[in-house]
Amino acid sequence: MSERPLLAFRRITKSFGAVRALRGVDLEVRAGEVHALLGENGAGKSTLIKVATGAHAPDSGVIELAGETLERLDPALARRRGIACIYQQPALFPELSVAENLALRLEPAAGWRRVAWAERHRVALALLARIGAEIDPGREVGTLSMPEQQLVEIASAIGAGARVVIMDEPTASLTRREQERLFGIVNALRREGVAVIYISHRLEEILALADRVTVLRDGQSVASRLRAEVDEATLIRLMVGRDVAQLYPPSESAPGAVRLALRGLCCRSAGGRPVSFEVRAGEVYGLAGLVGAGRTELARTLFGLTPADAGELWIDGERVTIGSPQAAIAHGIAYVPEDRRRHGVVLELPIEQNVSLAAWRRLFPLGWLRRDRERSEAREFVRALAIRTPDTETATANLSGGNQQKVALARWLATRPRVLLLDEPTQGVDVGAKSEIHRLVRRFAAEGMAVVLISSDLPEILGMSDRIGVMRGGELAAELPGGAGATQVMSAALGQPVEGTAA
Amino acid sequence: MRAEPAHPPAPGAAAGPSWRRWLLRYEVLLLLVLVVEWLLFYHFGTSVNRRGVTVGFGTLDRQFDILRHSCEIGLLALALTPVILTGGIDLSVGSLLGLCAVVFGGLTHALGLPLPVAAALTLVVGAVAGGLNAGLICQLRLPPLIVTLGTYSLFRGLAEAFTRGSVTYSDFPAGFLVLGQGRWGGLPVQAWLFLAVAVSVWIWIHRTVAGRACRVIGFAPEGARFAGIGVRGQLTAAYVAAGVIAALAALIYTSRLGQAKADAGLGYELFAITAVVLGGTSIFGGRGTVTGTLLGVAAIAVLKNGLATLPVVMRLNAAEELAGLLTGALLLAALAAGKLAERLRLSSVTG
Ligand SMILES: Nc1ncnc2c1ncn2[C@@H]1O[C@H](COP(=O)(O)OP(=O)(O)OP(=O)(O)O)[C@@H](O)[C@H]1O
Ligand SMILES: [Mg+2]
Repeated sequence: MSERPLLAFRRITKSFGAVRALRGVDLEVRAGEVHALLGENGAGKSTLIKVATGAHAPDSGVIELAGETLERLDPALARRRGIACIYQQPALFPELSVAENLALRLEPAAGWRRVAWAERHRVALALLARIGAEIDPGREVGTLSMPEQQLVEIASAIGAGARVVIMDEPTASLTRREQERLFGIVNALRREGVAVIYISHRLEEILALADRVTVLRDGQSVASRLRAEVDEATLIRLMVGRDVAQLYPPSESAPGAVRLALRGLCCRSAGGRPVSFEVRAGEVYGLAGLVGAGRTELARTLFGLTPADAGELWIDGERVTIGSPQAAIAHGIAYVPEDRRRHGVVLELPIEQNVSLAAWRRLFPLGWLRRDRERSEAREFVRALAIRTPDTETATANLSGGNQQKVALARWLATRPRVLLLDEPTQGVDVGAKSEIHRLVRRFAAEGMAVVLISSDLPEILGMSDRIGVMRGGELAAELPGGAGATQVMSAALGQPVEGTAA
Repeated sequence: MRAEPAHPPAPGAAAGPSWRRWLLRYEVLLLLVLVVEWLLFYHFGTSVNRRGVTVGFGTLDRQFDILRHSCEIGLLALALTPVILTGGIDLSVGSLLGLCAVVFGGLTHALGLPLPVAAALTLVVGAVAGGLNAGLICQLRLPPLIVTLGTYSLFRGLAEAFTRGSVTYSDFPAGFLVLGQGRWGGLPVQAWLFLAVAVSVWIWIHRTVAGRACRVIGFAPEGARFAGIGVRGQLTAAYVAAGVIAALAALIYTSRLGQAKADAGLGYELFAITAVVLGGTSIFGGRGTVTGTLLGVAAIAVLKNGLATLPVVMRLNAAEELAGLLTGALLLAALAAGKLAERLRLSSVTG
């Protein structure tokens, strides 16, 4: 590891209106180092890296690459100079093939050349092979899963000869396995002398990967330490400014009557398989499984997005048919979806309108908008979930990622549901807010809600669930008690025999 | 729960001085344009003729004329505002106006139906036509632009087939002509109808959950579905309402001219769309106000009519051509100014 920084931020400031996102940030990243950047939601991490990629111009301060000041940076220039960024939401063209997407990034954009298809294909294949990704370059990007698209992004960064690779919450929706593959790639990059800036809210990841850690708080860097000098508790204290109990809140009450019951429910036309389980009032039912195990599909069927065409659904002992999301809401089912930006919030709407969006029936029973009710409702959630914003009229797009997630959650809590389906509810949420959300979920459960929790964060599933259903290939492969261990859940998810319990 | 955020932001901090924000609002800019436009025409377009009578722009008759002319296009613009807010478009409203006009003529003349019945049936035809648009868009999931491009030709073609391209219905009873030519309470009768429709659409868009739904669909159709909004229902409402309002415009048009022909309202859809966009509604959906649309209609109507009163223009006999040219220029200038104001508004907040 060389001592001179490859990339240096010097006294960077950036404001959005009255919001001072960055107030003089210093950061030095060396070649061959994995530099973790952490901080609470809204601390300024994404803004800082958008300054480095030229997406935002800083109000003041300079960026130096290998000792040379970068003037008037724009995204194209940043890419040419070897700064690549993998955003949490891959920015690829879904209608084009993998090879075409890579070519768009890598081939010079000039002129009337003939397209060398075979060459393109070969280059793409080689790049993908270098990061160990088995993706057919001819496939349309839109048909790839999110993790696969991320791999394509990484391949393009490597192909462009990036000297600095920035990853903004790359693992927020990855499962264990995909996560491990990503770590392998990060380690390979480090060996090749690339500087990696790694943003994540998962502290165990940071501790496993990083060489150096910088903590941002309120737009300032409060500490920069070597990995060896910190542990989890130190990091949390640096981020939040106080200690946060990392414990999951215990079940407060004994589960009540059966709230939600599935009897062979599925949507055959969407490729679903029959699933049966019951969730009692006051219970948190965790759904574990690998990506593609059918958890999100099941949630969508329950919520009427892909209505069930076989089996039965019972709520509070009454048989119901859910043909549409409206019907689901009318029956007290709420669904916090996985894809926050596309489905969870409407980015252009103010926070308050996002919060009230699914609760119109309760807030505006006559169909008349009531701004006062809407605002006080939103203010309550802003307070309860610690959403960082100047006011509730701010466009949701202006919030940091984690704060947007909290808005998505608030929208569905505002419907006062009987059944709450949570799909990756704490993705991108910082440690403090995460335990706050866990406490809230517990509180709502204690008030009689039945909660179905889908999460790729295994500790979250293990810590929160009263019972755990493990899905595999669209079916419920096993049902485990709340105290089950990680190995039990993983072996059930992989289809291996589980000791101690009957499937 | 966190004890308190690290630096509690003052509520409304991002708002900046509110009067400045208000001044930089697009509607206010447009109002300013309208006033300037009006004053210019008042100054240059008004004269006193040899007999000492005031003629030209500055007369009450001329102002009423402007009002009368803007009612039909104004109605179409009002019809289009919710549709455009959903991210859609309806190119067929002008043709539907023509179809409804000859349907009304046929019902009263050929079938001899009483006026109120014929009028009601005409509105029903408008609703059905709007329903056809909505059905094609929602059921077949076709883009609104394509669907209404089709019905644009279809409706006009039907109107022409209906009248075999030549029949003109005239000789409407005086009781009907009042609608387009009479006055009531000092104003042209149709102005009251227009006002009623404007208020209804305003309430729909700005005060009810249905209007909010239109916006959400315009911003994010998928997101709307995930939030449990009945996307089909809302879209259908918007297109059916557009059809009904177009039919109402047809009745007023027929009454104002005292005749119904298949070419009624030819090209009106483009004026209406221009007015809506000039009024600040985003063609991509989501953003826009009914007030903006009304101002857009007024700005175009004053421009068109005012030009015809300018001596230079009268000498050149080029009012139509100039009106087209200036409308285009106004639209582009307004869009540019709107963008600029947005930037200023943001920077005024920063400062
Ligand atoms: N385009 C914008 N307009 C207005 N405010 C913005 C904009 N982008 C970011 N902000 C604000 O700047 C602050 C920092 O946001 P940023 O996205 O950098 O946070 P973050 O550290 O990445 O948080 P997270 O962990 O939630 O992703 C937040 O208060 C956010 O609301
Ligand atoms: Mg972020």
